[in-house]
Amino acid sequence: MPFNNKWFLVSIALALLIITYAGAGFSMRATDKPPFCGSCHVMNEVVRTQQRSIHAKLTCNECHAPQDSLVSKMIFKTRAGMRDIYVNTLGTVPDVIQAEPATKEVVNQNCKHCHLMTVLNIDMESKAYCTDCHRQVPHFKKLPIDQRRVANE
Amino acid sequence: MSSIRRLFSAVPAMPAAAVFLVVSLVFSGCTQIPEPQTPSYETKLEVTETGNKAFSEDFPLHYQSYLNNKDDTRMTEYAGSVPHDKHDGINPLPKGYKHAQPYLKNLWMGYPFSYEYKRARGHVYAIYDILHIDRINNYSEQAGLPATCWNCKTNKLPQWHETYGDDLWAMEFHEFRTQVDIDDNTIGCNLCHDPRNMELRITSAPFNEAMLRRGIDWKQASRNEMRAYVCGQCHVEYYFQDKAHGPAAKVTFPWDNGFTPEDMYEYYKDKGSTATPGFEGNFVDWTHAVSKTPMLKAQHPEFETWIDGPHGAAGVTCADCHMPYIRVDGKKKISSHHWTSPLKTIEQSCLQCHADKQPEYLKERVLFTQKRTWEQLLIAQENSVRAHEAVRLASEYEGERHPDYESLMIRARELTRKGQWFWDIVSAENSVGFHNPVKVMETLARSQQYSAEAVRLAVQAANYAIGPELEGDIKDIVPPIMEHSRKLQQSQAHLDSHKWLQYLPLLPPAEPVWDGQEKLR
Repeated sequence: MPFNNKWFLVSIALALLIITYAGAGFSMRATDKPPFCGSCHVMNEVVRTQQRSIHAKLTCNECHAPQDSLVSKMIFKTRAGMRDIYVNTLGTVPDVIQAEPATKEVVNQNCKHCHLMTVLNIDMESKAYCTDCHRQVPHFKKLPIDQRRVANE
Repeated sequence: MSSIRRLFSAVPAMPAAAVFLVVSLVFSGCTQIPEPQTPSYETKLEVTETGNKAFSEDFPLHYQSYLNNKDDTRMTEYAGSVPHDKHDGINPLPKGYKHAQPYLKNLWMGYPFSYEYKRARGHVYAIYDILHIDRINNYSEQAGLPATCWNCKTNKLPQWHETYGDDLWAMEFHEFRTQVDIDDNTIGCNLCHDPRNMELRITSAPFNEAMLRRGIDWKQASRNEMRAYVCGQCHVEYYFQDKAHGPAAKVTFPWDNGFTPEDMYEYYKDKGSTATPGFEGNFVDWTHAVSKTPMLKAQHPEFETWIDGPHGAAGVTCADCHMPYIRVDGKKKISSHHWTSPLKTIEQSCLQCHADKQPEYLKERVLFTQKRTWEQLLIAQENSVRAHEAVRLASEYEGERHPDYESLMIRARELTRKGQWFWDIVSAENSVGFHNPVKVMETLARSQQYSAEAVRLAVQAANYAIGPELEGDIKDIVPPIMEHSRKLQQSQAHLDSHKWLQYLPLLPPAEPVWDGQEKLR
């Protein structure tokens, strides 16, 4: 036998680990992105408005999931994903979808995370959220309704 | 050692799961987010279809939503859908309501509006309610009002207009009573939708013509604009055209100069054929029985009020708030066809754009505007009553008059007419100021100023001798007329019960000819 049995097993295991690692990484990234989130029709509108916004090049979860550590991101993302799947399949989708308080907190942290240099010497206690003043940022809500929502979605 | 082996045995499952995930992601991840495309339909209906029920088979969800207009039980703070006498602030619902304008019958004295004026219910009651309202003369073979009144009541109107042309308008109202089905022909689908494909369309000739005169062709309009235009077919100020200016009694919108009360007031100055000195050529809806003032009556100018308000100017349309998207039948998203106050659907209507606000906060903001509008509306209403009373007293004053008496009285009557027009524009409008807070407040301020100036001129015309009679609380000078109807006007005792009612002619005794669609005699 040309190969040592032990080395054969190790290289197989290594290959599997690489595939798993790459697959998990790919999945992690893909499920952060607008095309994935928008593949549920109830999310069409938010993706549509995000794609026209100043943050069009960012993924959904660059704002909508914690960026401080992989662990907190995983926990938050898993919980949000599970809830969305449940509501979309078994629950009742609200007529107008709004961010939950936990999401609003996370999004706000991410504003400050990226715009750190801007907020460094600003008193951030004046308003609860950045978007209280920067109202054009969240999903272009000021776009005429007929350009962002239609029946049957 | 055994634990390591167990770990290894799980290894083949991991790539399998990863591959599955990747494959499913590739498939779902390829989904492109479609541009918002209004669903297109192809029905088997004819373009001439009028019946509402005919649409229910293809559009059961929309039809069900439309039937929700039958709800006539829910009020908001200042308005709502429960029909009641709008001048009655004494009795509780359903007879009256806490927010009422007690002088409506006084201000419309001599005009059918003084017989009965109720809060409107939903579109599905349009035919039933017009067949039972006392404004139409049901005691006679002649309704006293033309077929024009069917406009915006029935989905058969476009068909009738096609059949009779502009002769339709001046035809006898009663002639059409039995030509409609109360439910199937009330305001409905075909008036806003092309039955073949459900595209939005305009079926109102008056709207089409008024917009063309403004240089706007609805056929070129964007979908966003159409979401307001379809409502603007009816929720507008209009008048019955004077026969000296075109087809008699034709519904016409006074928009040639613009959409402000002032623009429309100017428009009416040469659209009539009255010979009343000082008002020659003015359009006149009726002459006030007490002050003999040539009057204008305003009709629900929602479109004109909204169009340059905060929402209208920003391109937010009627349907955006009054027809919010709702999920029905599980998940399907449709536009609500239950037309009512968005105060009943704040989450769907307002939070669609005002996502950063709480429903309770938004409701308070609306009430902030409405409370202040309502207070000033009541003052404008009382000022108008005082103006009529001042003109009445001055016209009957027999002492020495001012040397310029005639011209002072013409000006006093003109400002009485104008003051009431500006009050009525707000009074008849459905939003109690919300559609355009600043314009509405300006309109009421002007109304109060015009009416106060009318009083001053009348007092001057009578050499200030009538001044003392106009001092004090208006409710003591001219009490509100709480009861008045066509039936009551057949009674001399009723006409003797209020000093203003004495100016009305006694009607000959008569029993009703019509009860709804039933001919009684």
